[in-house]
Formats: sequence, structure tokens, C-alpha cells
Amino acid sequence: MTRERRNLIAGVAFLTPNILGVVTFVVFPVVFSLYMAFTNWDLTLHNMFKEDASVEFVGLENFIELVTGDRFPRFLGNTLFFMMGIPFSVAASLIAAMLLSSDTRAGGGKNYLYLLSGIGLIAGVMMLTVVGAGATAMTILLVGAAAGILLAGVGGGLTFYRTLFYTPHFVAGVATFILWGKLYSATNGPINLTLQPALSGLGGVVNGTPAVLYSGLFWVGLLLMLAMFYWGSAKLRRMIVDGDLGKGAAVVPFGLLLIPVVVGCVWGMTRQAWWLLALGAVAILAYHAWVYSQRTDRFPAKSSEGFGSGFVIALMVLVVQFVLLGLSPVMGALPAMSEVSATSDGLTAPSWLTDVGWAKPALMIMGFWAAIGSNNMLLYLAALTNVPGELYEAANIDGAKPLQRFWNVTWPQLAPTTFFILVMATIGGLQGGFEMARVMTQGGPAGATTTLSYFIYQEGFETGRLGYASAVAWALFLLIFSITLFNWKFGNKYVND
Amino acid sequence: MKILFGVILTVLVATSLGTYLSYPDARSEVPVIYWVTDRNPARVLQVQRFHEWLVKNGHVTEDGKPVVELRLDMANRDQAKQIIQTVSGVASEVLDVGGGQAMRLFRQMEVIEDVTDEALAMGFDPSQTYAALESEITVDGRQYLFPCNVSAQGMWVNEALFESLGIGPIPARWTFEEFERLGKEFMAKANPPGTRPDQKRFFANSIPPVTMRRSAGVSMFNETLTASALNDSRYVEVLELQRKWIYEDNILPTPDDTSAFASEQGYGGPTLSLFGSGNYAMVTGGRYFLIRFRDFDNLGQLRVVEFPHGGFPNTTIGTRAAMVYTGADRPDLGKLFLAYLASEDYNELIIEDADALPPNPKFTKSEAFLRPPKYPNEWGTHGQFVKMAEEIAIPLVHSPFVLTNVANNRSDDYSELFMAFRISAEEAALKSAQAIDEAIRDEVERKPELQPLYEERLVLQEKIDAALAAGQKVPAEWIKNPFHLRYYAAQGKLLPEGEAAPETSAAVTTP
Repeated sequence: MTRERRNLIAGVAFLTPNILGVVTFVVFPVVFSLYMAFTNWDLTLHNMFKEDASVEFVGLENFIELVTGDRFPRFLGNTLFFMMGIPFSVAASLIAAMLLSSDTRAGGGKNYLYLLSGIGLIAGVMMLTVVGAGATAMTILLVGAAAGILLAGVGGGLTFYRTLFYTPHFVAGVATFILWGKLYSATNGPINLTLQPALSGLGGVVNGTPAVLYSGLFWVGLLLMLAMFYWGSAKLRRMIVDGDLGKGAAVVPFGLLLIPVVVGCVWGMTRQAWWLLALGAVAILAYHAWVYSQRTDRFPAKSSEGFGSGFVIALMVLVVQFVLLGLSPVMGALPAMSEVSATSDGLTAPSWLTDVGWAKPALMIMGFWAAIGSNNMLLYLAALTNVPGELYEAANIDGAKPLQRFWNVTWPQLAPTTFFILVMATIGGLQGGFEMARVMTQGGPAGATTTLSYFIYQEGFETGRLGYASAVAWALFLLIFSITLFNWKFGNKYVND
Repeated sequence: MKILFGVILTVLVATSLGTYLSYPDARSEVPVIYWVTDRNPARVLQVQRFHEWLVKNGHVTEDGKPVVELRLDMANRDQAKQIIQTVSGVASEVLDVGGGQAMRLFRQMEVIEDVTDEALAMGFDPSQTYAALESEITVDGRQYLFPCNVSAQGMWVNEALFESLGIGPIPARWTFEEFERLGKEFMAKANPPGTRPDQKRFFANSIPPVTMRRSAGVSMFNETLTASALNDSRYVEVLELQRKWIYEDNILPTPDDTSAFASEQGYGGPTLSLFGSGNYAMVTGGRYFLIRFRDFDNLGQLRVVEFPHGGFPNTTIGTRAAMVYTGADRPDLGKLFLAYLASEDYNELIIEDADALPPNPKFTKSEAFLRPPKYPNEWGTHGQFVKMAEEIAIPLVHSPFVLTNVANNRSDDYSELFMAFRISAEEAALKSAQAIDEAIRDEVERKPELQPLYEERLVLQEKIDAALAAGQKVPAEWIKNPFHLRYYAAQGKLLPEGEAAPETSAAVTTP
């Protein structure tokens, strides 16, 4: 036997246990679950003790049930809702990384500022305690914690803050969920104890001002949403003119911008303003079309050119539009919500985990907190150190202000990292939600926090429908695969552009 | 490198061998079986007593040792784990489950032993436990479980608290109206203005929705278990009353009120601590609450009363019961354990520990059970639980056409939406019924072997509906829902045994 062959055999021998493990516990189950997805495999019908029962091939039946039933779309909706927090958490991670990459001890009197703030806060806490402010224990705790963080920062500097920010990532998930459960307690949780005085104050202000002001704010909110629509579509129009966006590629981004307008026209809370939204959108589009037709300095672009850029811009504007759309009816309803009567306590802090409407946002906020100090922040920290200093110098010589430096130097340099984070966050978002649903809400109230991963568990291990559960899992895979492919095709192009 | 590889391989083989040799099964002289149960220190003594019982009853080896060694497995009580382990062939011999719902799932999987014949021969057949539990431990006349303990639910009353407020006495049997009146009186007297949320006192922690619904004459399923019966105006009224008590009168706590209490955990959860501290004047539960109550100081005299009713007093009865795994090496030894559960030795332990009611009711007539000398403040409660179990208790209803947890999940979604003021009670009732009916249709479609029974029952249901609509009585054998059997008996709608069934247009052979 040659030496080469002997080495090969030894190498394979070393690898065999690992390969066997991967094949047995990863490759085989994955392939087998694909087969299961097309069968009627149900543990109550088919298992090793039912020798005469055989699993039958049912074609696309499980997938048809997914589409025609009401549960899969509902739980997919829940999953997508949670994913709406991804852009915010990515942005927050970036902000955290930028803050943590600037040296807090680097002169400029910052240390003194921190020291003074910390001492001031501690003095405040002591005074509150001395005057017996027992009812404000939460205030004491929060202010004390803030003071502690500032003072520890003076001593530990960046290392302390980086450790602090990364803490959520190395705290066990279940412990975090239990902690957040306590924070969210509606009656005596720290969040509501802090929020309630502010809401009561706001209620007082609202009750003291004419109601017509708030109904006016309803319309202002909608006008602002239209303004965002104008801004987004103007940006897209300029890209078309400059040859950065092809006409074919512009269809989807424009469609995205129109979604909030259409929703606003049919949504019960804003339907009364449908004429404003419809007329406004038509007028804005007509105006852009007219401006476009007047321009003679257009640069030609391929029809599919720049889809990624257009899509990302439209997506960002879409989120802001939806926020404004949601806030408008809230502003309009503020006087009614603030009114204190025999049947209403006025503006009250929400029942975070027990209210059908608030359970999802509550879990989303928790996910947002966890995502800020996650690996995303570490990736951004690493990427920020790789941005060449010469670029900042050049920008400084050109007289760029901090925001311009960020937009024209930092952001483009971070594009590959952002792309990677977005892809991973999207995959994680679609797969996630199981632990928090099981620990904090058991998927409730009324299924409001049941995500697809929790649904798979319920179907597979609580009712024994392995075939159907596998179909859900593969539908989820297809979704993840399609979105990742989409990200890869267009996002990658955007990054390289 | 090759030497390193060889060393690692040798170490792995050696440690595997060591693990095997130190494994209890390999070291025991007799067969070892495992009992999957919950984390309760009392189980250790129950296992020890089982070994003693084996010796006492002659189940010994030639040298006089017990024929089997029973060991506890407290890590696999979760039902999802049990499902995976049973269908994979690696489950333990004896498995604890929460009654008929889980049993039906495992029975459908055919992973548990039919113990009917052995139960008769060894003395743990259904006659050895409460009559109301029959549908919880048997299906179609075949037995699969025997109870480890039995729980009839009632309301624990803190007598001293009511006396201190000058309220009461709380009736042993009461209507919804009486409950509401006393509840409002209690809330006004127990919570002076300015009471902090975490110090608020509530009349009771909860009233089981199933009991409330049944007391108004409504079951989740119809008489033949072929469809939901929730789309009923009486259910609508019960839902509205329930929400009124929680959110309007606030005599029962809202979920937010509950979360406001920063209470210690422990066996039975924070509810029991809140009863001990007087935050709940009454709590819903079984005799097993005494395990915690006995740790409280100065709890005072205790009483147990029935749940308030809307015309038909009732309560639910349930069981933590043991079943034997078909894939076990020695299922016969597992059945021996079930026989032990019916014995005096085991029942005495349950009586002493107050771990709910003993499985065999014949042991509940003793002084040791009714009046334990160490706990005079409990006298009166033990007998009351037995009385409820024997007179008004009805088990949960399970349809052969849908898994009970599926039906519960579907209907809970809508009742929760109603409680959250998202839909009306009428909508909740209608949508719950529709969702359950859809789940039944899906299940029957997926499992063709259910079709003949389903069709048969549909025809029978038509006969029942026609007879009831015509004001006629129906034979008991037509009724497959244990709730309706009791309810119609109380309403005088059941034909006396031996009397001919009413003539109806639908010709049917009684299944």
C-alpha cells in the first residue's frame, strides 16, 4: 500500500464518525422529511406497532391543506409580523456598533460629563429615598441603574459598554423570556410603571386641549404618509432619469409604495379618508409622470437594472408609511381614549402579553432588544474597523459633515456586512419564535403569537401529524430559500453597485 | 496520528463498556422497569411501598426478593416526549398520563396495552374506582388505564377571611346569582379605596368554563360526539357572564390582576400562596391542594363548596393515571404495578399525602381519610370531595372523531378573542362550533376507518334530535356523551331501562 493511500485511509477514518453523524442526524432526516411531506404519515395511523398500516403517498394534499386552511396563513402572518422588526434591529445594531467604536474615554471632557451625570443621578436617587418616595421604587431603580452604567463606563470605558451591550446574547433564552415576562406585567411590571405616569400626563394634556386638534392630527398623519409616498416615488423617478433604475425594475418598488395607500383606503380605521389617499396618490403619480416626460436629459438603463436599490428604498419608505398610517387613527382617537369615565380609566398602559393586539408587538420589542446586542453588532464593530481611514480624511477635506460622512463613506463600506446580516436575520426570523412562544405565551392569546416553527411543533408532536408538519416545514424552507435567493440576486447586486 | 486515533477509539470503547456495566439494568438481579411520572418526592415512598407490596403478595423470586425492581423516570413526563419515545420503541414500561385525552391518543397509536382481562383477574378493573371515571380509563368497553389518583374539582373556601368580613356563610351549593351577589359584597368589603393592585383581594381565582357551560346544559359535543354543540344561546350567556365577572364586576381576577401578584411559586403555582395570604378568598382545585396548604401557618378552618351553577350542579373529575407500554420488554410487570395502584397499601399513601383522592373509593370511608387527627381544620373537606366525585362529577368528553386537544385549541382561540373584546359572544360560539366541526370533518376524511361509525352516529343523532324535538324521551344507549347522559337523566329525558325506543322516521340500528 502506498504512503498516499495509507494517508487517505487514515484521513477518511478520522472523518468517518463526523460524516456518519451528519448523514444520520442531518442529511437523512432532511431528505426523509421531504418524502414525509407528500405522505399521510400520522402517528395515530402509522408507527412501528401498526404493522398492517402503510404510509400512503398523497401528492400535494398536505400543501393544498396549507393553502386552503386558515391556520397556516394566520401563523405565517404572525411570523412575518415579527420580521417587520428586522430593519429596526439591524439599524439599532449599527447605531450600537458605531457608539461602541468611539472611545468614551478619549478626552473632550466626556469623562467629566459621565462622572457628573452619574453623581447627579445618584444624588437624585438618594434624595428620593430620603424623602421616603416608596411609591417610586421603580424610578429609583431605573435612575440608579442609569447612574451605575454611566459611572461604570467611566472606569471600564469601551470594554464595559461592549460587554454590557453583548450581554443579551450570552444570557440563556429561557431566562431572558422569564425576565421579560416580569417586565411586561401589566399592573406592576417596570415597563408599565414607567409608562403609566407618562400616559396619565398625556391624557391630562389631551383632555385639556380641543378635540378638533386631534381629529386634525388624523388628517395630518395621512398627509405625511402621502408625503412619504411622494418622497419615495420622487427618489425612484430620479433613479430612472439617472439611469440607475430600469423601467421594468421600477414596477415592484412603485407597487410597494402603493400598498400602504391601498390599505389606508380599505382599512376600517382610515376608510373615511379614502378619497384623500386615492386622489393624492393619483395626483402624485401623475405629477411624476409629467415631470419625467419633460426631462430630456435621461440616461438609458436596462429594463432590469437597479432592482435591488429600488427595492431597498421602497421597503424603507414602506415601513415609515405604515407607521404613519397606524399612528393617524390613534391620534384621531386620542380624545376618546383619554376620557376618564365610569367605564374607562383613560389612557392606560397595555396588557402586553395577555392582549390579543399587544402580544405580538410585545414579543417583537423583546426580539428587538435581543438583536441590538447580538452578533450583528459584533459584525458591524468588526466591519467599522475595516473602513479605510483615508476615505474619512478625503471626506473631511471635501468638507463633509458627520451625516454626509456616514451616508457616503461608512454606509457603502458596510454594505456587504449589512447584506450578510439582512440575509441571516431574514432566515432567523422565518425560523424563529418557537422558544418565546412556548415559554411566554404558549402561542396565545388566541394564537396571536404562534409562529410557523411553533405550529410545526404543535402539528408534529402534539397531534402526531408528521406528514402535515413536514409539509409546513418544507413550505417554510421554500419561503426562506426564495427570499434568500431574491436577496442574493438583487441584494448582492445592490452591494456591488 | 494513527496512534492517537487508536487511543481515542480505545478510550471510547472502554467508557461505553463502563457506562453499560454501571447501568442499573445490568447490575440488578431481577428485571428493572421504569415508571415515568411527575417530579414529586412522594413517588420515592410509593416505589418503596410497591416493592414491599410485591413481597407481601408473593410476587417474589426464589430467594424471596421482589420479582421486579421499579425505578422512577421523572424526566420524560412531557407528552411530546412520550409520543416520540413510544412510537420509537424506547419508552418506559409504565407511563403516567393526564387521563382519557392522552390515553385516546396513545390508544389510537396502538402503543399501550389493553389491560381489560388482567384488570379483572388482578383486581384493578373499573369497578375498583369511581364510576364517573369509566370513560377516562376505558374506550369501547376496553380498559387501558388505572388511576394513580383522582381529582374532583371544587372551591376551597377560606372561612376565617369571610368571617372577618362578616360575609357568608358560603352555601355548599349555589347559583350564579348567589355567587355574583356574594362576590360583589366581598369585593366591596375586602378592598377599601386605595388598595394597591398587588394587595387586592378577589372573591375567587377562577371558575372553570367547562363547569359553567355544563351547568347551563351545554357540552362541547353533541349527544353522539359527531359535531360541536357550542353554537347555543346558553353558551353565549355563559361566556358573557364569565367576562362580566372578570372585567366588569372584577370578582374574578383578569390576567393582568393575576400577573400583578409577585408571589412565590412551588407545587400548585402561585395560586395557592395567594389563597394562603388571603388574596384569593376561594380557589378552584382538588384535594391535592392540601399538599401545600399543610405547609401554611394559621390557615384556619377550611371548607369545600361546589361551583356556582346555572341550573345543573356539576363538577369535572379527572385522573393522573398509569398505562403500560406495548413495546416494553416485560409489560406483565407493568400490569403488576397497576394492580398495586388499586391496593390498600398504595391508597393509604395517597390518603396520607393528600395527593388528591385515592383511586379506590372504598378506602375513603375510613376515619384516617375523613378526619386525619393531625389536621382538624381539614375535616369536612375530604368527605365533600368524595361526595362530589360520586354524585355530581362528570369526566371531560372525548370524541372519537377529533383529538380533544385539537377541539380545545380551536374553541379556545375564539373564547379568548371574546374575552379580549375582539368578537361578540355569538360570534365566539358560532366560530368555535364551526372550527370544531371542520376539525371533525378533516379527521374523518383523513381516517377512512372512522367513516362507518361516523355515518352510523349521524343517523343516530338525527333520531335523537327528532325525539327530543317531539318532546319524547331517548334511550340511554343512544347517548354517547357522558355529560348528556347525566344531564338528560337529571332532566328526566332518558327512557327507563327496558322501555321501547321512540318511533322516528329515521330507521337505524343502534350501534
